[in-house]
Amino acid sequence: MRTIEYLTEPGLAGIYWPMVLAGFAIALTCATLSVVVVLKRLAFIGQGVSHAAFGGVGVAYVVGVTGVGSLGQELGLLGIVLGFCVVSALTIAHFGREDRADSVIAIVLVGAMALGFILFEVAGRSAAAGGRVSPPGVESVLFGSFTGVGWRSAVLAWVVALVVMGVTWALRRRVVFWAFDEPAAEAFGLRTRVLGAVQMVLLALAIVVTMRLAGVILATALLVLPGAIALRLSRRSVVVFVLAQIAAVVGVLGGLVLSFEADLQQGPSVVGVLLGMLVVVAVWARWPKGQIVR
Amino acid sequence: MSEPVASSRDGEAAIAFRGASYRYDGQEIDAVERVDLRVEVGERLGVLGPNGGGKSTLLRLALGLVRPTRGEVRVFGVAPERARREGLIASVAQRSGAELAFPLSVRQVVLMARAARVAPWRGLPAEVREAGERAIDLVGARGYADRPIGALSGGQLQRVLIARAVACSPRVLVLDEPMVGVDVLGQQKFADLLTKLHDEMGLTIVIVSHDLRAIAAGCDRVACLNRTLHSHGAPKGLTPQVLAEVFSHDVEAFFGEVHVDAHAASECADPGHMHDHGHGHAHERGDEERGS
Repeated sequence: MRTIEYLTEPGLAGIYWPMVLAGFAIALTCATLSVVVVLKRLAFIGQGVSHAAFGGVGVAYVVGVTGVGSLGQELGLLGIVLGFCVVSALTIAHFGREDRADSVIAIVLVGAMALGFILFEVAGRSAAAGGRVSPPGVESVLFGSFTGVGWRSAVLAWVVALVVMGVTWALRRRVVFWAFDEPAAEAFGLRTRVLGAVQMVLLALAIVVTMRLAGVILATALLVLPGAIALRLSRRSVVVFVLAQIAAVVGVLGGLVLSFEADLQQGPSVVGVLLGMLVVVAVWARWPKGQIVR
Repeated sequence: MSEPVASSRDGEAAIAFRGASYRYDGQEIDAVERVDLRVEVGERLGVLGPNGGGKSTLLRLALGLVRPTRGEVRVFGVAPERARREGLIASVAQRSGAELAFPLSVRQVVLMARAARVAPWRGLPAEVREAGERAIDLVGARGYADRPIGALSGGQLQRVLIARAVACSPRVLVLDEPMVGVDVLGQQKFADLLTKLHDEMGLTIVIVSHDLRAIAAGCDRVACLNRTLHSHGAPKGLTPQVLAEVFSHDVEAFFGEVHVDAHAASECADPGHMHDHGHGHAHERGDEERGS
């Protein structure tokens, strides 16, 4: 078992433990939001926002924030990308209300991607000319890289996890009403626009930390799959919520183990395990004797 | 313009529209225009009007979801936004909004509106739970209170949504198109339920619909709305003439052969039990003639 070796070997533990702990944190973060993401149909918005992060990384590199080295650098990168994600999430929420939301999302998505690619090139050239740190490969932003995760990133991921879970807990009754029936929630006096905006900010936060580890493209997977799995197993809200957390943690840790054992990239391995779980659960839920839903 | 009737009366109205108009951004005409309407405490009012006649806008004004462009709206003497946040007024919308795949039981849905006002660090207080159970009994949903919300029939779901509003202990209940998707058998049950809510809880009830059956299901008074408020009186005072004015050409499709002249209709309207609150041409012309 390479996994055991990686986690117990003194020379390797400092690399792999932060990875595992950060993975645990992003699993909890994304699972917390995923039930609402699935039921409130925010998956495509999540997709748009996560790709907007790509543009944010481009901006950060051009202004010289690489996220490498000091805590300030790391927070700076997170801050810039978060700002970019929040702005695009609110843009989608705002224009999507009046216009066709899916088109607005597509436009924000491709716009941010194009901007990101251009800025990566700009940053790469000026870094080469000035002898500074050149930006990471586009691939590592798209697919993430657990290997670059240090203790600091792991702690940050846990801070974000606690913030997302705390806010969601505090707003749980309102969020349920809002997600179940937004027009009615408004008619009963809930500030639905504020709730929607808070949800967008939480989504952006989750995406920003997930991006470091699982990549821009795979952030959506972590926001959708745990909820989709849990909703096939129960019709009780608390059970669904807990199952989503369990599914995400099993998926992320299982994916990491898979990646260690088979020497694969971590992000796609995590998605592969989660997808496998969804298939098993979907087949089981449809199996004549396994009909536990309804 | 004459003094609005509503403001000249004493006593607090459940809902008072005083010369209320609302125009959506970019529109050339008002969606509702100079509506004067008093909903008395404890009455059951039906607002009848064609699709696109401003019924939903009137409802949104009453709930404080939009502010009148001109005029004002008061609910128990306070701003509608406040009345809504304090739970004085509760509404049951057409059921299109709900995501029925949600893993919630009927009981959870009944409680959700009331629960949303409870501070997050507290559990649900006993009085909230009791209000929920009372509402479940009142609408007759006891038999399926533990079932998933997605497993109900249309009529059952409507009862649950009414229970959700009733659990907030409102003083006014507003129902938007309550007959949509309710079959003939369900109509009588629905009428009985409304009577029960009115009699047992002393609720003021406002039903907004384009469907005469919904209004006939136990309203004391009817107001007709087609941008302007045409008239209101007891349902038996609702004449084909008034309906013709509201529905214009649709009325034949509605009632078969009815021949009416809209101008004649509004001039025939008996001022004894019908107040023409609108500013229809016929009415204004009448005023001028009297004045000269």
